Amino acid sequence: MVRGNHAPYGRFSGKAPWAGLRKTVTGMLEATNLSVRFGGGYALRDASLTVHPGDRIGVVGESGSGKSMLAQALMGMVPDSAVLSGTLKVDGSDMSHATEAQWRALRARRIAMIFQDPLAALNPLRRVGATVMEPLRVHLGLSRAQARARALALFEEVGLPDPEQRLSAYPHELSGGQRQRVLIALALACDPKLLIADEPTTALDAEVAQRITDLLVRLSRDRGMALMIISHDLHVVARATRQLLVMYGGDIVERGETRKVLAAPVHPYTRGLLAARPRPQLAIRVPGTKRPRLPTIPGHIPALPDLPSGCRFSGRCPAELPRCSSTRAHTHRTGTGAAACHLLNPGERSKA
Amino acid sequence: MTALLQVQNLRRLYPRPRTKLFQRPELLIAVADASFTLNPGETLGIVGESGSGKSTLARMVMGFERPDSGTVEFDGTDLNAVSAGELQRLRTRFQMVFQDPYGSLDPRHSVGWSIAEPLRAAGQDNRPARVTEALEQVGLSPGDASKYPHEFSGGQRQRIAIARAIVLRPALIVADEAVSALDVSVQAQILNLLMDLQEDLGLAMLFISHDLAVVAAISDRLLVMKQGEILETGPTPDIFANPSHAYTRSLLKAAQFAPPRGAPPPTRKVPA
Repeated sequence: MVRGNHAPYGRFSGKAPWAGLRKTVTGMLEATNLSVRFGGGYALRDASLTVHPGDRIGVVGESGSGKSMLAQALMGMVPDSAVLSGTLKVDGSDMSHATEAQWRALRARRIAMIFQDPLAALNPLRRVGATVMEPLRVHLGLSRAQARARALALFEEVGLPDPEQRLSAYPHELSGGQRQRVLIALALACDPKLLIADEPTTALDAEVAQRITDLLVRLSRDRGMALMIISHDLHVVARATRQLLVMYGGDIVERGETRKVLAAPVHPYTRGLLAARPRPQLAIRVPGTKRPRLPTIPGHIPALPDLPSGCRFSGRCPAELPRCSSTRAHTHRTGTGAAACHLLNPGERSKA
Repeated sequence: MTALLQVQNLRRLYPRPRTKLFQRPELLIAVADASFTLNPGETLGIVGESGSGKSTLARMVMGFERPDSGTVEFDGTDLNAVSAGELQRLRTRFQMVFQDPYGSLDPRHSVGWSIAEPLRAAGQDNRPARVTEALEQVGLSPGDASKYPHEFSGGQRQRIAIARAIVLRPALIVADEAVSALDVSVQAQILNLLMDLQEDLGLAMLFISHDLAVVAAISDRLLVMKQGEILETGPTPDIFANPSHAYTRSLLKAAQFAPPRGAPPPTRKVPA
């Protein structure tokens, strides 16, 4: 378990690539140029986003893209060795100098999180009902009976069969999907306004994954709760979210309406990622012919210290310009949202 | 053409956890009655959700597990009728690639040591050139042999696992969810590598996955499993063009990439 970070969020002084795009409407959560730096380099670089109640945001990217670091930074849970910069506001209040106690209160009541492995997140020696009742008693001060009634209602809401019996079940007696439902009930216990789900369906079967995804969407709609789904699985974000952030090497490289970005990706990384996906249509081929090869992104994502200082995708990009590796791309509006890529501004060449 | 692998009426039962002290535990039918053949150089895809019996089937094909009934014949030899020593000699010709590129390599040994392990098991450990060759075949450099698993990414580790599987130049590779733990772009690289190796080395492959789209890319023929039963089998293009079973159709629908229309059903509100 990573401990909360006590280092204050300093003001970011550099130029903000996303500044021009920031919405003027205040959201329940506002991050501006949020960066997380480790000794070797930036794991998250100038991430800006605004979350409004009821938003459903997908964050996609591969291992090492910084998507989980973004979630941890929003929860105030980055490792102690990290240096943070930028600003983070929750409900209008600046969390830059928040103490661990303030973060803890916020995490319980405003922002909740669910993780990839539901078995690892549950105490194997405790009945799941007792686990869900704990935050209700600690944070909301409910009596045992009140907490039990509310836990039962939550189990019903997340669609656990026989909720009454499930209260006294141990984690090993539940299936993977049921465990994830218990964790969702636990996350909902104190009525959060934002639920961050980090790879919520990765450990589950395709069919169960769909049901859990649909449950998250339904809960977000019913409760007016914002939902952020972090996943490497494009199916999950396509199914559940309305807005999409595509991350690579700690940068948000493209953003926009999920449906539009997936239908017409602009950034070369997003395009490469979508092209590399195997499609069922590949099965339809003339018998006896060679199987077509999948389009790939050459190479692999470099380790943190080796990431290029300019566009993170340079070195692997099929449409690279000479200055891509040293100069960061500004964010440009696209037909589907926004993307940070030099190709979108040919006129910029004269300035550079 | 004679079949490389012939599986007939394979059946495997597992006892469920005992529910009553004085009763026999109930039996779970992991694989009900599986029959198929695999020709040299061919790829047979097995698709199904977890619990469908596809991994049990793979373990029986590898001879890791004995079937309750039925036979597995590799190149005309019944795996369960031969001695342990004979089985070990046969295994030099069929190898397995596992799902987890982190768990399947020994962290305390160099990659070269891990790749050479099948050679040692087969008594051919005097052939270090094979290790170098296998590394090159999977797109790594010979110098990587002296490195340790933690120095590699997930995709590179899966390349190492594939190098280990081909080091004995087998005729058959069983790949159980070999690309499932990998990111999309890495997955595409590994699938392409498997297809290249197959065509270059004339490898037959049993490719097991829960993901129909992945199986579609690589398989010549397809076998759809659910709850231990084989629901459907045939050439991959035929099954995709014309799925005969409702379950296959639902898998196919799930593999399509489109946001669903309409809202999910509403739910009861929790009283505040």
